[in-house]
Amino acid sequence: MKEVSIVEERGVEHKNPIVIEGLPDVGLVGTIAASYIVEKMKYNEIGYIESDLFPPVMVIHGGRMKSPLCLYGNEEVIVVSSEIAIPPNAVYPLTRALADWFSSINAALVISITGLPVKNRMDIEKPEVFAVGNSEEALKELKAKRVELLQEGFIAGTYAIMLRECYKRELNAISLLAQCFPVYPDPGAAASAIDSLDKFLQLGIDVGELLEKEGEIKLKARDLMRQTALSASEMQKSAEQDMPFMYR
Amino acid sequence: MGLERWIRDAMWSYNGNLEPLHELEDRGDEIVVTLDLPGVEKENVEINTTEDSVEIKAKMSEAVCWERWGSVQRRITFQQFRKQIKLPEQIDPEKASASLKNGILRISLPKKRTKVLIPIQ
Repeated sequence: MKEVSIVEERGVEHKNPIVIEGLPDVGLVGTIAASYIVEKMKYNEIGYIESDLFPPVMVIHGGRMKSPLCLYGNEEVIVVSSEIAIPPNAVYPLTRALADWFSSINAALVISITGLPVKNRMDIEKPEVFAVGNSEEALKELKAKRVELLQEGFIAGTYAIMLRECYKRELNAISLLAQCFPVYPDPGAAASAIDSLDKFLQLGIDVGELLEKEGEIKLKARDLMRQTALSASEMQKSAEQDMPFMYR
Repeated sequence: MGLERWIRDAMWSYNGNLEPLHELEDRGDEIVVTLDLPGVEKENVEINTTEDSVEIKAKMSEAVCWERWGSVQRRITFQQFRKQIKLPEQIDPEKASASLKNGILRISLPKKRTKVLIPIQ
């Protein structure tokens, strides 16, 4: 058995889909955004991800059991989401398996939504969104859409490896990083990321409800945030605050 | 992460208090504690400090009640955040200050002055 298996349950005929990856990371920006997108777009569950490397956990929703790592979407859009923190030893096998699958279904673009932790987040009313691309073509796309590029710095975690694994398979991938609280769930940052995502997907999602229900979302995301913060310390997420050395 | 720990961490205390997410940062001259307190107004926050600890009680504007939640509790209600934090160094409680913005409480705890600058002659 493979270390990580992508299981498609519904026979969706993929038409060069755009993939939105929202796995748990700083501020749970991607997770909150992915969950909101799935709800607002009424995307169906189309599959799940299983691995012995994940905690032995299943989730119950409305009396129905499901895998905590799920795939949602339709022929043109796929959303990857997780209700549990990704264990550090699962990051490489998971990103490799996902990138293989994205390649097999001829994904047009992989967009990871995540956070960019900032110390003064408390004083920022509307978080800014920065981007990283994994190829010249991806960078061109970002410039065309007028998304501000992250010029220097380290990136760490699932999305960083996803960019690399997609590059190795000649898949265009970008990461949208919204300024966020490092260890508190940040629906405000998720709202900024969704607004920015609209430049690529034109989903037309109103983020008003996300901002209105900010307090409730923060409470519900509290346990996942704590699990994610524990995993993050092992993924060298703190490196994102460091200055990279380059003599030139 | 072991299953037992995962389950224990996932369980919430059932005494009407909720432990908030918090972060503690040592900035040299001061210790800065931040806490995530969604649904809390400034008037409903009580902070007590000693030289080596800080206790925060924060009442939510509305009680939070979730039905059919979890495998153990079927109904759970919270009205207040409560957290006691042991500080890594002694602080001067008289000089402590706090602010609450967008649901984030920031407490600044200046350390007791133990260092003296020696001028070079």
